[in-house]
Amino acid sequence: MWKNVLSAFISVVLLTTFAFVVWVVATHDYRWEAIAPYRNNLFSGWLVTLLVSVASLALSVFVGVLLTAGQLSGDPFSTFLCRIYVEVIRGTPLLTQILIGYYLIANAIDWHSSLGVGIVVLSCFSGAYLSEIFRGGIESIPRSQWLSARAIGLTGAQTYRFVVIPQAVRRVLPASAGQFANLVKDSSLLFVISVHEFTMQAREANANSYATFEAYLPLVLGYFLLTFPISFLSRHLERRYRYEH
Amino acid sequence: MSIEIRGLTKHYGTTRAADGIDLVLGDSVQVLALIGPSGGGKSTLLRLVGGLERPEEGTIRIDGAEMPRDEESLRLWRRQNGFLFQSFNLFPHLTALENIILPLVEVHGWKRGEADARAREVVARFGMGAHLEKHPAQLSGGQQQRIALARAMAHEPALLLLDEPTSALDPEMKAEVLDLIEELCQAGQRIILSTHEMGFARGSADAVVFLGAGRVVESGSAAELFDHPRSAIVQAFLSKVMKW
Repeated sequence: MWKNVLSAFISVVLLTTFAFVVWVVATHDYRWEAIAPYRNNLFSGWLVTLLVSVASLALSVFVGVLLTAGQLSGDPFSTFLCRIYVEVIRGTPLLTQILIGYYLIANAIDWHSSLGVGIVVLSCFSGAYLSEIFRGGIESIPRSQWLSARAIGLTGAQTYRFVVIPQAVRRVLPASAGQFANLVKDSSLLFVISVHEFTMQAREANANSYATFEAYLPLVLGYFLLTFPISFLSRHLERRYRYEH
Repeated sequence: MSIEIRGLTKHYGTTRAADGIDLVLGDSVQVLALIGPSGGGKSTLLRLVGGLERPEEGTIRIDGAEMPRDEESLRLWRRQNGFLFQSFNLFPHLTALENIILPLVEVHGWKRGEADARAREVVARFGMGAHLEKHPAQLSGGQQQRIALARAMAHEPALLLLDEPTSALDPEMKAEVLDLIEELCQAGQRIILSTHEMGFARGSADAVVFLGAGRVVESGSAAELFDHPRSAIVQAFLSKVMKW
């Protein structure tokens, strides 16, 4: 009874809010012609964001795997170092990391590609979160599986390869997909080191045309086009690797 | 098989799981049953003999070969044996067939085709041919144990170690699995098993060892130990478990 009332209430609130938002957004008096001259800039910004997202997604998985391996290696010193890294990265603002990474560290080694530095900093940032997700996934595999693997004579490496990782991958998919979507959106912070990505192009278009909504509304569609395939793919893979029928 | 165990000791925290186990059995023993109360040391002894754990002290000799200490040689030792636990033996992400093929290919170096044929042969012998492509979650507990047993003996292990293989099963499934183990005994497979199935231990084992508090309390032929137990502990235990 109360469950039905509650779910009806939630549905009504969500539907009303949604309808209201759509109505407000749809009936606004837009000046699309004001933003039209900047459409190529917006599109090239979207392409930069796509590039940054794909590159740092791949690199962040690499960083995440390394950090996970370091923490599970059994060597206390490397475990300690990896933990410190993860805590520092997770405990400080990404904005600061980007600024320090570009103006202090990259500068010190004479590297001035804001795009390259941006991709590396984002990957180091996201990799720390991913390593926690990966570690959780591996540690969630029951002891009985390790024991069985040992009993049939698998080596440690074989146990990871054939028993632990295939099971852990499915368990970490949903959380990883969430982290990947965050990564795509976090890439907008790279404007502080003037990477000409999607959000920066929208800011510039707005500054020049004073057409705020016309400049920022495309961001909704543009980012969703990047994040939706990630969550779609994650769900698809989750179903495919389902074995608890 | 000849078994010679001297002064075997293993602690888990402050628990003495094996507290100086001594056991010498001659060549005539093909099937050895370990009985006794839970926590008495049956599982620990099996794991030590199987090379899954390392003892703190003591030695194990099987057919004259002493169990090695270093991890590399210990893995070779484990390969010669087959091991079956109470439950959760199988890998849930692999089908029954893949569960059996994996160790044949990756541990024993068989070609995939040979391993596949061998797995199918063993599974058919165990009456599980219809379930080859199923994942463990789609099988009953008894069927899972039969597949796990097929995996444990597909490579023709020198010694099969069964740790309470039927304790987690309901009576009908227990019977299915015990029938299979009995069949393996008849076929000459060398087996050490820990069990609470006294009828099975009595009927199928050549020798029975009673373990309590991490030590061998009494050992002998099944007939001796069940009909004329010498120690008071074994007498009390048997009178309790045989009562119902």
